[in-house]
Amino acid sequence: MSASGRILSEVRRARRPLRLLGASGQLGYGIPTPGFNTGLARQPDLIGCDMGSIDIGPTYLGKGEMATAPEATRRDLRKVLLAARSLDVPLVIGSAGSAGAAPHLDATLAIIRDIARADGLRFRMAVIRADLSRPMLLEASRAGRIVSFDDMPDLTDDDITEAAHIVGQMGTGVFRRALEADVDVVIAGRACDTGIFAALPMLLGFDAGLAMHMAKIIECASLCCVPGGRDPIIAELDDDGFVLESTNPERRATPTSVAAHSLYEQADPFTVHEPEGMLDLSNARYEAVDDRRTRVSGAVWHDTDRPTIKMEGARLIGERAVLLAGAADPRFIAQSKEILPKLSDLVRDLVCEDQAQDYTLRWRVYGVDGVRMVVPASEAPPGEVFIMGECIAPTRERASEVVRTCKQYLLHFGYPGRLSTAGNLAFPFTPPEVSLGPAYRFNVYHLLKVDDPDALFPMEIETIQG
Amino acid sequence: MKLSDLAQVIRSKNAGPRRLTLDVMFATDADYQRVAQSPALGPEAVGRLYGVPPEAVTVIPYPAGRAIKIVLARRIMAGDPGDVDVYGAQQHAPLLGIEL
Repeated sequence: MSASGRILSEVRRARRPLRLLGASGQLGYGIPTPGFNTGLARQPDLIGCDMGSIDIGPTYLGKGEMATAPEATRRDLRKVLLAARSLDVPLVIGSAGSAGAAPHLDATLAIIRDIARADGLRFRMAVIRADLSRPMLLEASRAGRIVSFDDMPDLTDDDITEAAHIVGQMGTGVFRRALEADVDVVIAGRACDTGIFAALPMLLGFDAGLAMHMAKIIECASLCCVPGGRDPIIAELDDDGFVLESTNPERRATPTSVAAHSLYEQADPFTVHEPEGMLDLSNARYEAVDDRRTRVSGAVWHDTDRPTIKMEGARLIGERAVLLAGAADPRFIAQSKEILPKLSDLVRDLVCEDQAQDYTLRWRVYGVDGVRMVVPASEAPPGEVFIMGECIAPTRERASEVVRTCKQYLLHFGYPGRLSTAGNLAFPFTPPEVSLGPAYRFNVYHLLKVDDPDALFPMEIETIQG
Repeated sequence: MKLSDLAQVIRSKNAGPRRLTLDVMFATDADYQRVAQSPALGPEAVGRLYGVPPEAVTVIPYPAGRAIKIVLARRIMAGDPGDVDVYGAQQHAPLLGIEL
């Protein structure tokens, strides 16, 4: 019998609280070993890791690349795989490879197979894919089953066709199906982080509201503590609530810190919308067990009869190149808002001498308004600034041509009252122009109405033979 | 007194790529009540700081966390050309200097 089958039958035979280890909120950036070992010593029934997010922006999804470094990703995967196999408990990983589309999932699986070979591990693995088929989406769109939210423009057929990858955030149902299939390891593409931790308790009949609330907190590891951090976290779930404890003795899960975590990256602290329903936290209670453990209860789950899957897709918009430079001349800084548009025009006239403008060029002046949406009028000018020119063009060569031209003409740009006639810019190194590769934008961020959300996400079982 | 002198946490982050969420948290119930009842963190005041109309600002008091949550529409979707803060993690700065 594999790990999930063993735990399910053991707890079904003799019901007891469940202990879950939230090993990482973003696998691939390192798991602190002391805390991880403390967590393992507590004999968890499941080790779970979230591996991705939409926060990292559209390029990883579009390009099919991980945000984390391959060696660090491998080190983390090996750490959790070895631990789960030695305790014989399920390892559940969601949003594989940062963005959870096919190339991310396949790259994650390749690392896992390689680790298994090198370490002689044998296990049964469920692989769940999150990619949504274009013909299905085109049909759903025509049938009015794709809806916008958060003021996103309506999805067009062109968006569906042009997106490099489109994934759906799978819910808890597919994780339940995987754990019921008697497996040791579950690797899912793009997924709601709740499924990673809520599926096992829900299969065992624990309250769905408590299981989902617990999952929502521990997917971020010890972020719900003071001080917050990345050390793994332990949750112990019974029929009336769950107790949270960080594996790092310096991190305290207090009623206020845990309650405050409901705010994190959520537009509404009282309700969490999931594919299969809604989690209502308005009656959640947070009580101190001692100075570093908090007991949580009171969350209520409401199933929906209209499931929706949140979709994410990114399309290529060109090749990106940037110019990096500093400046310290007060007259240049004071006039930069006038100088940069003029420079853009000058460069356009040069690089578009025999063609139409086929690129975009944007300037950010750090120290002035590179970060903020609104800058107070009364603010004193800075002593020095960092200037970034960003070009997105149809080809890498074209983007590079534009920023290289910008560099030379901005360096020598004449403006009224100029004293520094030898050059306007300080380059920390040369070349100061950098080609950043393909640029993408999110063109799909919509809800797909479905009858059976699980049916969208095919599962395969793979037997790893070491 | 400035908000940054009273609050324990003042932070911003995306809530999805099209929304920005600002959280202000306090160490004591008294500090929380003082700000929760003040117009300094109301939709008009916050809208002015971020250059958006008051209707575009949602303020949610959250007593259990001694916190106030503010939700704004992002002007540019996270990661779109022209974005300046993909994670939205540095948009809290205008709140720091609010006079209470």
